[in-house]
Amino acid sequence: MKRNRENIPFTPGIEGVPRVRIALFCLAVPLLLFLSLLLGASGQGFPDVHSPVGKAILNLRINRLVMGLLVGSALSVSGVVFQAILRNPLAEPYVLGVSGGAGLGATLAILFGAVAFIPLSLPVAAFVAAVLTLFLVYGIASRGSGGSPSVYSLILSGVIISSICSSLIMFLVSTASADGLHSVIWWMLGNLQPAPLDQRILSTVLIGAGFIVTWLLGSRFNALTLGREMAHYQGMNADLIILGGLLAATLMAATAVSIGGMIGFVGLIVPHVTRAMFGPDHRWLIPLSAVSGGTFLVLCDAVARTVLAPVEMPVGVITALAGGPFFLMILQRKMKNAWIA
Amino acid sequence: MSVPALSIDSVSAGYGDHLVLDSLSVQIAKGEFVVLIGPNGCGKSTLLKTVAALIRPSSGTVRLFGEDVRKLRPSVRSRILGVVPQKVESPMAFTVHQIVMNGRTGSSLPWIALSEEDHGIIERSMIYTDVLDLRDRYFMELSGGEQQRVILAMVLAQEPQIIMLDESIAHLDINHRYEVLRILRRLNHEHGMTVVLVSHDLSLSSEIADRLILMNAGKVVVTGSSEEVLQAEILSRVYDCELQVQQDPLTGAVHVIGVLDGISRGSEWMKPVHVIAGGGTGIELYRRFGLYGCNVTTGVLNRMDSDAEAAKALGIKAVFEKPFSAIGEAAYKEASDMAGQAEILVVSDVPFGSGNLINLRLAKEALDAGKEVWIAGGIAERDYTDGKQAVEQVDKLLAEGARSWTSLHDLMMELKGEP
Repeated sequence: MKRNRENIPFTPGIEGVPRVRIALFCLAVPLLLFLSLLLGASGQGFPDVHSPVGKAILNLRINRLVMGLLVGSALSVSGVVFQAILRNPLAEPYVLGVSGGAGLGATLAILFGAVAFIPLSLPVAAFVAAVLTLFLVYGIASRGSGGSPSVYSLILSGVIISSICSSLIMFLVSTASADGLHSVIWWMLGNLQPAPLDQRILSTVLIGAGFIVTWLLGSRFNALTLGREMAHYQGMNADLIILGGLLAATLMAATAVSIGGMIGFVGLIVPHVTRAMFGPDHRWLIPLSAVSGGTFLVLCDAVARTVLAPVEMPVGVITALAGGPFFLMILQRKMKNAWIA
Repeated sequence: MSVPALSIDSVSAGYGDHLVLDSLSVQIAKGEFVVLIGPNGCGKSTLLKTVAALIRPSSGTVRLFGEDVRKLRPSVRSRILGVVPQKVESPMAFTVHQIVMNGRTGSSLPWIALSEEDHGIIERSMIYTDVLDLRDRYFMELSGGEQQRVILAMVLAQEPQIIMLDESIAHLDINHRYEVLRILRRLNHEHGMTVVLVSHDLSLSSEIADRLILMNAGKVVVTGSSEEVLQAEILSRVYDCELQVQQDPLTGAVHVIGVLDGISRGSEWMKPVHVIAGGGTGIELYRRFGLYGCNVTTGVLNRMDSDAEAAKALGIKAVFEKPFSAIGEAAYKEASDMAGQAEILVVSDVPFGSGNLINLRLAKEALDAGKEVWIAGGIAERDYTDGKQAVEQVDKLLAEGARSWTSLHDLMMELKGEP
């Protein structure tokens, strides 16, 4: 089967990216997002915008939609980046201890009451703790390797630091007063209740910055999947790109954790599914994963607030319940289009 | 005089404290086709990585067309130098075309489309390496030879002036190996590309290279045409084994072959040999003499000594003493009879103490009987007897006509009567 050479469009990487699927995807996303506005704890259907109550409900739903888009895209893109840099299908913010570190920072901020007094202390604490964790993991992994750590030592030390962080969170939770306990637990389970406005604005800026950096590095990530050595030969400063990519991905994951709590599975599943649909070229994969990750989380949230209405479930429960079996199913199909390992 | 494409000036480099390259200097001219050969671990791959600025040399400089490689911007460096590593793997399902595109997009921004020229270069690289038919296949599903050609296409798409291949063709079958070599030859001839190939195949190297560089222990041993480098004597020393070099009278092709049989049967030198050893110092001697078909005997050895175990395993006739005991008269007498049958007596670099000093008397007897006696050098470091009796005896033996040896290879050559 040979292609007609005359028709090669001179767009970067459109080769191998199925255009029909992209078109369908572009149609489906707004439709799904609109659908999610119809679902809520107060009942199905579009709220009556003429009544004040309806207005408030619509406003709330839109806010949650924005939250979902932000958190979902941040987690997905950081998953894409970690998987590319570490060349490992299991890499995601959780594996590297980044989410755990962010969670620990956020827990400290909540329990010590900083959140109530200092504006924006939650995202800042989460990011600082996540970066410290990343450096700690990187530092431990580099020991004795004379500079740049191997992927295996990175993942190993990441898993260890991650479990230390969660033990520390457990310790803090078990000694916390009943008052702080509720907010920590609720936050830990993951939810998309709109955060304060200043926090939302800051998070949008941070996640946007992380997205732009990672998208700019898209072609470098393509080369990095061939290994650090090959990327170096291809004329890039591999160590700088690895560090920059890890920092940008950490920034996005930490920000997402600080406003959405610990929402698992999104950073693992969405990159795989998106790659299976559109191929692994990161110049496309990064923006597409951002959109699909955001949409996925918005839909999960819509389900979370409707299934047991008027009681709301934490969205993390839905992502795990929906994501787990889905992931297994894809693994069963050997992920031919997405990952050969 | 033009600037050399690649100039390596007294470069030392390695990993951590372990230095692999030892003040190595070599120059490669533009348009040369050079093959780098040498035993495993001699630093060929390290040299390539140092040239590509992946390893920082601890001293010395590497220059590409006169520019210090460490001062070149990575993107500029990649337009001068392309490297094909031994094996490249991608964990993701990239198609062949996407992989080759990396050669052009490595430093481009996402929204900047590749120019028509870029696409032309990608297409040309794929035609050159004959992977155009594979363009929509998944890279990781290809055979090793196909993958290697795809990587070569990707590196060619960088349009480098120098291309280095790190044993990239070693694991290909002969068909694909020649195919890659033909591609390289053509690039070299038609585009004046400088090619540096690391190879283990000495015969193939001689066929293709303008010049060979033979490395050993982090240094250049010799460089020159295949006639100059592929000499049995030089190669045998570097690879520490016996090699023969044959030239095909018709084609002029040089073949380097290992020696399986040592020497033609019935030759004069297959004399019976008696080896005095102990503590594992004899194993290699037993093995080598055994390979040459010599009738080997050994002793006296203490039972449970590693040489004793080796002699038993190899079926070598030996005289044993009880474990960890001084050699007694009875065993000595037996060994003396055994050594009397041999025509050559070789003393390994075994340490001497009061318990086994008596073995040196076997050497004295052999020498007195007019036989060849070879004693490993450096006896002073292994003499644990009181008053340095072993040193004294060995000195006396050497004065009386025994000969000293240091390298096993040289010993074998001497015994064969080849200088």
